[in-house]
Amino acid sequence: MASTDDWRRQFTKYKEDVKERGKPFYPYAMFHDTVMSLVVVSVIIGVTCVWYFTSGEDPSSCGSGHSCLLGPRYSDPADPATTNFVPRPDWYFYFLFYLLRIFKWPDSVILGTVGIPTIALIIAFMLPFFDRRMERRLTRRPVAVIGAILVVLSMGVLTYKGATAHEALASEVVGAVPTWAQREGFAGNAEAIAGAKIFASSGCTACHTYLGTGSSNQGAPDLSAEGSKGRDKQFFTSYIRDPSKFGNNVMPKFGFSDQQLGQLAAFLLASKGPK
Amino acid sequence: MAVAARNKKSARRRQLEAAINYPIDWLEERSGLVGGIKYFIFRKVPGDTNWFHTLGSATLTAFLVQALTGAILAMYYKPDPQSAYQSIQHITNDITLGWLVRGMHKWGASVFIILMFFHMARVFLFGAYKYPRELNWIIGVMLLAIGMLEGFTGYLLPWDQTAYWATVVGINLNGTAPFLGPFLADFLRGGAEIGGETISRFYAMHMLLIPGLIFALIGLHLYLVIRLGVTSPPWSSAAAGSEAAGEEPRTNGRSGLTQPAARSGWRRNGGEG
Ligand code: HEM
Repeated sequence: MASTDDWRRQFTKYKEDVKERGKPFYPYAMFHDTVMSLVVVSVIIGVTCVWYFTSGEDPSSCGSGHSCLLGPRYSDPADPATTNFVPRPDWYFYFLFYLLRIFKWPDSVILGTVGIPTIALIIAFMLPFFDRRMERRLTRRPVAVIGAILVVLSMGVLTYKGATAHEALASEVVGAVPTWAQREGFAGNAEAIAGAKIFASSGCTACHTYLGTGSSNQGAPDLSAEGSKGRDKQFFTSYIRDPSKFGNNVMPKFGFSDQQLGQLAAFLLASKGPK
Repeated sequence: MAVAARNKKSARRRQLEAAINYPIDWLEERSGLVGGIKYFIFRKVPGDTNWFHTLGSATLTAFLVQALTGAILAMYYKPDPQSAYQSIQHITNDITLGWLVRGMHKWGASVFIILMFFHMARVFLFGAYKYPRELNWIIGVMLLAIGMLEGFTGYLLPWDQTAYWATVVGINLNGTAPFLGPFLADFLRGGAEIGGETISRFYAMHMLLIPGLIFALIGLHLYLVIRLGVTSPPWSSAAAGSEAAGEEPRTNGRSGLTQPAARSGWRRNGGEG
């Protein structure tokens, strides 16, 4: 631990060193900076060209006609009603996105959404005040080196996991409805089956799991036995109509019709757990 | 004869120089800017600054690319739910080089974020956040957080499915924060649902509020960089901060790198550090 005077002395020495042995910013450092900046701009333009020339005007041409190496130019227009779409943030939020899967609804999700990022930010802000040693050589800063490796590894793994997390597509999920009906014993209940189809095709399984299908995200619970919790149809209808009225600010408001809401409620009510 | 011609030429040259110098001196006398720029360009940096030190200015370049392409996009983009998507299609498919401008903005955002992380890693590994540069590290962390917010607010604007649903989830995540969460979520949405209000809000934040903040913080950041100087690499013999008391500065094989200035004539600013 160095005293303030040590620090001041060292900084004075630094300034003297630079004055005596330093080199002028121009042309040396400026040359390096310019080359690097040109590389950056070239990379941006290069990536843009690959993106543009491998994609077409129609997003659905990806895979048929266009390879879309870097994705489509845009996806289909935003449509709040059909949520047959897996929500996914931009890649630099993947770590956060995946972190949220680790925490389950409802008590711990706050840890993932707010707790860990806030703590990480505070640690980052405070770093110069935790590490008050003068030493800057890596071989003599084992804690810093190990810390850096752990941070890079965990961010890397979380980002990778977030990027490769398998999200069931609505079309696959709909195929599972007959199995659900049979295992949960609502095969004779037409309204529940209609509800199950809405559930499967509206993107609910992007966050909820049901008999092993779907992926638990953002802390959303498994719904396989939702009907055995003593809740009634009225509850389910109003909950799905506006989850935020029940303190759930994560689940979107889907904009289902009254008929669809009734069917969904019937489906949830009939889900008493696998027989 | 020949002598007269030469004299005449140099007189002309003198006039020319005076003509060039006049506006420069005029500006300097009234603003001191010329001296400032001279100081910036010819200030001494540690002799062994290297490629790692270019990551900060590379980040700056990436940000300037965003500012420029963003300004051009703003001339064609329409921030409302009815026309946002079409305006993006129009920019990408119809406008001359629109695809290049939009693509550079889209991909430049990722490059900007990656470079910020790389620059931060270099600062961390060089121990460059230590005295007297703590404040600059803190400003840097703010830039990182705000830079990611800029990415978040920009992601909604194309108003396609990717944009819409990522934002639905993102805003709802904000909503889980204790106490402030629901207010924050309502503020971001601009109402109960994501719609026109949300686009305007995100657009204003993405175009004005956040970039303004980033510009201001970058200004402060660079002011401190120039005021304090950049840290020399930790392997450098000079002022690397070895804690062992009385340890002699090591003059290792890199001393050649430490002194390239000695072989050049760039000493104009020798008096200042
Ligand atoms: C918009 C983003 C940023 C820009 C444009 C930027 C720009 C720069 C530039 C040009 C330098 C001069 C030295 C160098 O290039 O390495 C620098 C130094 C520095 N930056 Fe940044 N920076 C940004 C973000 C950050 C972040 C995220 C951090 C860390 C959390 C950070 C911390 C520092 C520190 C501590 C220095 C002093 C380094 C030294 O003295 O060696 N900066 N920055």
